Amino acid sequence: MIAWDQALAAPRDPAPPLPSDRDALLRGFHPDHAPGAMERLRVGVSAGQPCPAALADLLQSNALVEDVDIAGRAMREAEVLVLGGGGAGCIAALTAARDGARVLLVTKLRMGDGNTVMAEGGIQAAVGAEDSLQRHYEDTLRAGHFRADKALVAAMVRDGPASIRWLIQQGMGFDLEEGEDRIGGHLLRKKPGGATAARLLSFRDYTGLELMRVIREAVLLTPGITVLERHPVVELLTDPHGRCAGAVLLELGRREIVLARAGAVVLATGGAGRLHLNGFPTSNHYGATADGLVLAYRLGAGLREVESFQYHPTGIAWPPHLAGTLISEAARAAGGLLFNGLGQRFVDELAPRDVVAAAILREIAEGRAAAREGCEGVLLDTPGLEAANPGILAKRLVTLSHLAHRAGFDPAREPFLIRPTLHYQNGGIAIDAEGRTAVPGLFCAGEASGGLHGLNRLMGNALLELVAFGRRAGAAAVEAARGDRPRGVGLTHLAAWERGLVAAGLPLDRRAPMVFPPYGNVDLAAMLRQRVAA
Amino acid sequence: MSLAPGAGLADSGAMPIPIIIDGHAIEAPPGASLIQAWISAGLPLTENVGCMGQGVCGACRVLVRREGERIATAALACETRAEAGMQVAFIDHFPARRPHAYDLAAMGDSWTALGQVDAVFPEAKHCRHCGGCDAACPKGIEVQKAVTLAVEGRALAAGALFDHCVMCNLCVAACPEHIAPAHLGQFLRRMANSLTLRPGDLIERIRQIEDGSQAIDLDSPGAAP
Repeated sequence: MIAWDQALAAPRDPAPPLPSDRDALLRGFHPDHAPGAMERLRVGVSAGQPCPAALADLLQSNALVEDVDIAGRAMREAEVLVLGGGGAGCIAALTAARDGARVLLVTKLRMGDGNTVMAEGGIQAAVGAEDSLQRHYEDTLRAGHFRADKALVAAMVRDGPASIRWLIQQGMGFDLEEGEDRIGGHLLRKKPGGATAARLLSFRDYTGLELMRVIREAVLLTPGITVLERHPVVELLTDPHGRCAGAVLLELGRREIVLARAGAVVLATGGAGRLHLNGFPTSNHYGATADGLVLAYRLGAGLREVESFQYHPTGIAWPPHLAGTLISEAARAAGGLLFNGLGQRFVDELAPRDVVAAAILREIAEGRAAAREGCEGVLLDTPGLEAANPGILAKRLVTLSHLAHRAGFDPAREPFLIRPTLHYQNGGIAIDAEGRTAVPGLFCAGEASGGLHGLNRLMGNALLELVAFGRRAGAAAVEAARGDRPRGVGLTHLAAWERGLVAAGLPLDRRAPMVFPPYGNVDLAAMLRQRVAA
Repeated sequence: MSLAPGAGLADSGAMPIPIIIDGHAIEAPPGASLIQAWISAGLPLTENVGCMGQGVCGACRVLVRREGERIATAALACETRAEAGMQVAFIDHFPARRPHAYDLAAMGDSWTALGQVDAVFPEAKHCRHCGGCDAACPKGIEVQKAVTLAVEGRALAAGALFDHCVMCNLCVAACPEHIAPAHLGQFLRRMANSLTLRPGDLIERIRQIEDGSQAIDLDSPGAAP
């Protein structure tokens, strides 16, 4: 590795990088391919599938509660129960309530405290005259190494432009091209890494914040939605036929178990970055602990591509108190270049994220990284970007400039030191185009679901997915909830699950969901036991 | 290796920083944010936390008094680094409830939109100009100026001042007239976009999708390796 002073002094050569064999790069350096990173699931409907070991431990664990814990507890009623208060959950709740359903939305932190509000880059929709739905469809499949579900991708892509219209109708703003009119003008479009057309629509470099604050306000003002914050879900409820019929919640304020019964459940619990797979830092919010995956899997919902995670190329490597914090791809989409400690470019900055991340890890592994106070990474050349586009840092990359300020340097004079950060769960719970899982009554949307991104997600498809499938799952859940109120609701599914664990030789005393990361100093199992004993 | 955010800070060899958070006297690793200091002291973290460092969710509101200062100021704990002698108190969130009800979809006539500002937020015209909202905002937004502009009917200019608002609701808590400035800002911004943003390229593409000229061929050559 090269010392920071030397790396800064090295003349940066803008010559294009030498082409490299992408497959070999991914096999050699992407964390998904690290030796020992994966194991095969041994129990459940997706037994045999590869899965990161830390996630497999959670998926193959026992429940936090049993029958005695839920006996006699207060029961809340709703037609549609939404688990998760990020973008997908709020949009599903809005959709269901507007379709006439009584909705209960529960979330373990506060509504909006999720990954959606942190999304910076933007949202994809093929609106350019030179662009088409077909190109968006093919770009998405190709970036995901052709492992995504074609019908799901086509549904998402087709919903793209109408999703943008829907967001504007809720009051969301989008940037227009310089000087364009608000009526009839053209949207500002950027080209996401791995795409063939400029298709990324945005609001500054805090698109997710703009989306989330608008949607949260809409939820608060929509009659028919009850919101329970600080109520993590600790188990799902079923009827005697195996249909999902509600959830067991933990009211953190009173440390009490509360039950929620519903005709249909939408699971929108997000991703898993706080598992810190392979020891990586994460860009995710505090609650991204794969809770929904664990609960749905225990109930019999299949998983897909859970072996695939996205490591965002540009996480902060230095300073340590910001390690893992994201620098938006917008910086590279706008022309920002990456240099190793020798001042050489080493990858096409706008290649798909998995390729760029693997290339950075290669530079680190092969000794060409720069090191600052012991933190290793490569340079994101913000001074070069500012020199080529004067004013861009202040005007269009506001969040990035703010981040540099907090790190204690001027991005127009000094580059960022960056390295990949665990960013997104590419796979998840298998769904159909209406957001249905394999379990009757259980729907899924957003990062928790799988099939939209294959083995690698394109920038801007996460926000599009959560709008398109939040709406689809919300509408489908209303349809499913029309019918008899669920009866005989309980934890009947757990007996078979425990038998499965025993048969596979797995321990019964490992309990999940995790709910809070270990460094949050919360022993949830103990909290529940204490409650029951009291 | 500890995976806790900011765990690497403790290894730097520098002296730990004494601070008090919610009555707990703790030693923060040098360079740690207040949230990182809290968890590194072994204290349980189940609330008043969200994005954990990006400063964008508004969950981790704190009052901070620095040594030698008389006044405590509002801040976000994930964006504020521990300094020796700091006294810190988390400001809890109360369940969200919105008294200022409106329905964007019902605002068909944009001629009546400005009148809606006063109908929905009648308290805004009672602003005392006490500056409490400006002092409370951790993002440096000119909140009071925005309220004044809104009352004058300058809806777009007022909404624009809330451009980077994270909806932490500290201005809402600070306002003695219950104006709820952050929500007034959201109202103005949402109204402006829903009534006046009509991108031509978007509208044209939606028309093409509806008339069938943007069909997707699921098995095109580009859909396979």
